[in-house]
Amino acid sequence: MEITSRIDGDLIQFQVVGRIDAATSASVEHAVNAAIGGGSQRMIFDMREVNYISSAGLRAILIAAKKAKAAGGGVAVFGLQAGVEEVFTVAGFGKIVPIASSDADARAKLSA
Amino acid sequence: MKHLTLADEIVVLMLDDTVGEINPGCISVAGVAIAGGVLMELALLGRIDSDLKSLFIVDPTPVGDVLLDEVLQEIGAQPEQQSSAWWIDRLSTRHTDLVERILARLVTAGILREEERRFLWVFSRRAYPQVTGREEREAKARLMSVLFNDEVPDPRDTLLLGLARSTDVLSAILSSDELDKASARIEEVAALEEIGRSVGLVARQVREAVTTIMMAQYH
Repeated sequence: MEITSRIDGDLIQFQVVGRIDAATSASVEHAVNAAIGGGSQRMIFDMREVNYISSAGLRAILIAAKKAKAAGGGVAVFGLQAGVEEVFTVAGFGKIVPIASSDADARAKLSA
Repeated sequence: MKHLTLADEIVVLMLDDTVGEINPGCISVAGVAIAGGVLMELALLGRIDSDLKSLFIVDPTPVGDVLLDEVLQEIGAQPEQQSSAWWIDRLSTRHTDLVERILARLVTAGILREEERRFLWVFSRRAYPQVTGREEREAKARLMSVLFNDEVPDPRDTLLLGLARSTDVLSAILSSDELDKASARIEEVAALEEIGRSVGLVARQVREAVTTIMMAQYH
């Protein structure tokens, strides 16, 4: 898995490529911690190139949402592939983390 | 004991404080909840992971807990990957002494006391009153915080809520009004974790089987 980030004011967008699972979730948590340490409170996960997410991966996103909310911000995701979207839907994850249809929609949801 | 595992905590919550025994309403699903709690703890410790189809080992390194390591080894020895629900059913039916093992370790840890109590002047039974009740109060406080604060829940508390929902201990913790008010939040949070959903599924199946047997005996 690769994770890169782009900062835009207090918003940070993570572009994730590959699988988010027990082997890679620590990288997500590390990136989130660094972002919050750097002053980013609003986070967007671009998931267009994530082809698999396990329970540990979902947990990493949940922890990100918890930390971002505690810092006064939030997390949104967009670009879910079908298999990943199924995982989010079964878990009812959209009630905790907004699932957006695009980058612009994710920004709008975090600004609301 | 460093901290209570989820399996320990759900047993503490299932105990009826007045008699020092597992609440009768929880008995049929106690093994299911403990099995689920063990798997959840292994997941939080980074030893196993799961998805919608299967549960699998990601790190076979022992964690230093006899019960958890026993289960970790058992999962590792299984030639084919199986679902979380399969493992919960398997562990709860093969390890019939899960409740006793957790009670014994809670006694060793100084959280419970073991007593012989008499009833009807003749019969004796073993009771497990809490020494201070602090652990139960802390677990209840965490559950209440998840249910009544609009915060993003912590994964450990999310998993504990899944166990509490499956064993119906929430009806002993909350008043009926509180239960009504929290019902949507309970469903929302308990659904977040895959192993939590599987515990709920297996617990429902066990309760249905018990009801079917009781109905058959009645008729």
